[in-house]
Amino acid sequence: MTGQTNNAPVVEAKGLAKHFGNFTALKGATFTIPLGRIVGVIGANGAGKTTMLNAVLGLSSYEGELRVLGRDPSKERPALMQDICFISDVATLPKWMKVVEVLDFVESVHPKFDRAKAMNFLSRTKVPQERKVRALSKGMTVQLHLAVVMSIDAKLLVLDEPTLGLDIIFRKQFYQSLLEEYFDEDRTVIITTHQVEEVEHILSDVMFIKDGEIVLEADMDELTQKFIEVMVAPGKEEEAMALGPITKGATFGKTTCVYKNIDRETLAKLGETRRLGLADIFVATMTGEGQ
Amino acid sequence: MKTFVALVKREVLDGKNGYLRVPMILAGLTVALVVLSSLGFGNMLYFDGMEHEGIQNLADAMNQAKAREPDEFSAAITIGYWAMSVLAWIALPFVIFFSLLGALYEERRDRSILFWKSMPVSDWQEVLAKFFAPLVVAPLAFLGVAVAAQLLIALFLSILMVFQGGPVMDLWPLGLMIASWFSVLSHYLVSMIWALPLLAWVLFVSAYASRMPFLWAILPPFIIMVVEEIFLDSSIIARWVGTHLGGWQDGAFRHISDDFNGPRELLTAIVNGMQWHSVSYSLTNPQFWLGIVIAGGFLWGAVELRKRAV
Repeated sequence: MTGQTNNAPVVEAKGLAKHFGNFTALKGATFTIPLGRIVGVIGANGAGKTTMLNAVLGLSSYEGELRVLGRDPSKERPALMQDICFISDVATLPKWMKVVEVLDFVESVHPKFDRAKAMNFLSRTKVPQERKVRALSKGMTVQLHLAVVMSIDAKLLVLDEPTLGLDIIFRKQFYQSLLEEYFDEDRTVIITTHQVEEVEHILSDVMFIKDGEIVLEADMDELTQKFIEVMVAPGKEEEAMALGPITKGATFGKTTCVYKNIDRETLAKLGETRRLGLADIFVATMTGEGQ
Repeated sequence: MKTFVALVKREVLDGKNGYLRVPMILAGLTVALVVLSSLGFGNMLYFDGMEHEGIQNLADAMNQAKAREPDEFSAAITIGYWAMSVLAWIALPFVIFFSLLGALYEERRDRSILFWKSMPVSDWQEVLAKFFAPLVVAPLAFLGVAVAAQLLIALFLSILMVFQGGPVMDLWPLGLMIASWFSVLSHYLVSMIWALPLLAWVLFVSAYASRMPFLWAILPPFIIMVVEEIFLDSSIIARWVGTHLGGWQDGAFRHISDDFNGPRELLTAIVNGMQWHSVSYSLTNPQFWLGIVIAGGFLWGAVELRKRAV
C-alpha cells in the first residue's frame, strides 16, 4: 500500500481546462507533480494559478483529466482533505472564532491534526490564545493559519501566497521551519508567491504559468544551470554579442549579457559569470526572449 | 458523528448571541418584572387606599384563590408560570430565521468557506449541521432558559410567601410543570416539522444568494403569491405557506372545544389531548409528508450549491 502510493504522482493533470463563460482561465494544462518535491508555481496576476490550484483542491469544476493522490478532487474533496492542506491567498480563518476555538475545531474534525505541534509553533509567536481572529493583526492571522496547517500530517500542502502581509523576519523563519520541520520525502509542497527571491532556494521544481498555459516545467537545478549571466570583460563585447545573448544590459560601465544553454566554460572566457536568479529567469521567459 | 457534533458545536458558538444571550436577556427582564410587580402588589393596593376583600399582599390573594378554587390552583400556577416566561420565547422565530439565512451566506461573504473546505468534512454534513443547530439546539436553549426563568420565579414567590404567609408548597406543582415543558417541546417539534419546507427554503436561499439573502428569501414567494392572486384569482400558495407556518393547527385541533372551563381543563387539553391530536393529524396528512419531501429537495439543492461555492 505505502509502496504504491509513494511511487504514484501526487498530482497528475492531462488537458486540465477551465472556462468562466467566454473567458478561458486554464487552457488544457498537462503536468505531473511527484511526491517529495517543493514546487513553485509562478505567474503574473490572473495567469491562472489560483484556478489551477482550486481544481487540484476540489474547490471548482474543470475539464480534462485530473487525479490528486489517486482521487478525483471534484468528487472526493472530503476524503482528499485528510491528506491535503491548503492556505488560500485571502484570509479565510473565521473571524468570530477565538484562537483556541479554531484549534478545538480542527482537533475535533481532523484526524491528522497534532495539537501539541500547533501549540509549539504558536509559542514562538505572539498570537494570544484567547483573542478572536478578528482582533489579530494580519500577520498574526497568517501565523495562526500556518501553525494549523503545519501541524496536520498531510501529503500535499498547497500555499497560495502564504506570507502575504508578514514581515521579513517571520517570512524567513517560516520558510526555514517549512524546510526543516515539515518537509520530507513523503510530502509535497506547492507554493505560489510573488516574492520569488524568498522561495527560490527551497524549491525543487518550478512551473511558469502565462495566460492559462504552462510555459515551463523544470527541475530547479537544471533550470538555473541553463541561464548564465556574464559581466563582459572590456574589449570582449563583440565576441559576447556573437554568442547571441537573450538579454543585454549595462552595470557600472560594463556590459552584462544573459545566455541560455551555452556552455559555462565558453562563457567564462568572456568575463565573470554567475547564475541567474529565478525572478530574472521568469522575466526572461515571460518576455519571450528566453524561448 | 464526532464531526457532526463538532460542527453543531461550532454553529452554536457562532450563534451564541441568538441562542443564549437573547433568551437570557428576555428571561432576565421577565423575572425582574415579576419580582418588581409582586413586591409592589400589596403596596399598589395600599397606595390606592382600598382594601379589597382583605387582600393586602400577594399571599392574601393566593390564599383566597386557593380557598375558592382548590382544584384549579396548581393548574393556574403552572399556566401562570408560562404566561410569565413567555416573553423569553418571542425571539425564537427570529433567531431561527436569521440563523438559517446567514448559515451558508456569511461563510461565503467572509471567505471562511475556504477554511471549512480545507477540512475533511463533507458538504452535506455542513449543511445538515447548519440546519440542525437553529432548529433543534436553539429551541432547546430557549426552553432551558424559560424553565430556568420559571424556577427562578417559583423560588422568588416561595420566599415571598414565606414572609407573607402564603401557600408555599402549592407554588411547586412540579408534575404539571414538567409535563408542560415536555408538551411545549413536543408541540414545537411537530410545528417545526410542518415548517420544514419553509425553513429549508431559507437555508437554500442562504446557499444561493450572492447578496441580499433577506430579499431573496421573502420576495420570490411573495411575488408568486401576488401573481397567482392577480392572474388566477386564487391563493393556493399563500394558503399552503400559511398551513405550514402554523395553520395546520386549525385542522388538528378542530375537534377540541375552545371553551375551557377553568385552567385545569385547559392544561389537561394541552398536556394530553392536543399532543395526540397534532401527531395523529400530521401523520395522516399528505401535505405534512409532501412538505418533508420538498424540504429534502431544498436541502439537496443547498448541498449541491455549497459543493460549487468558493
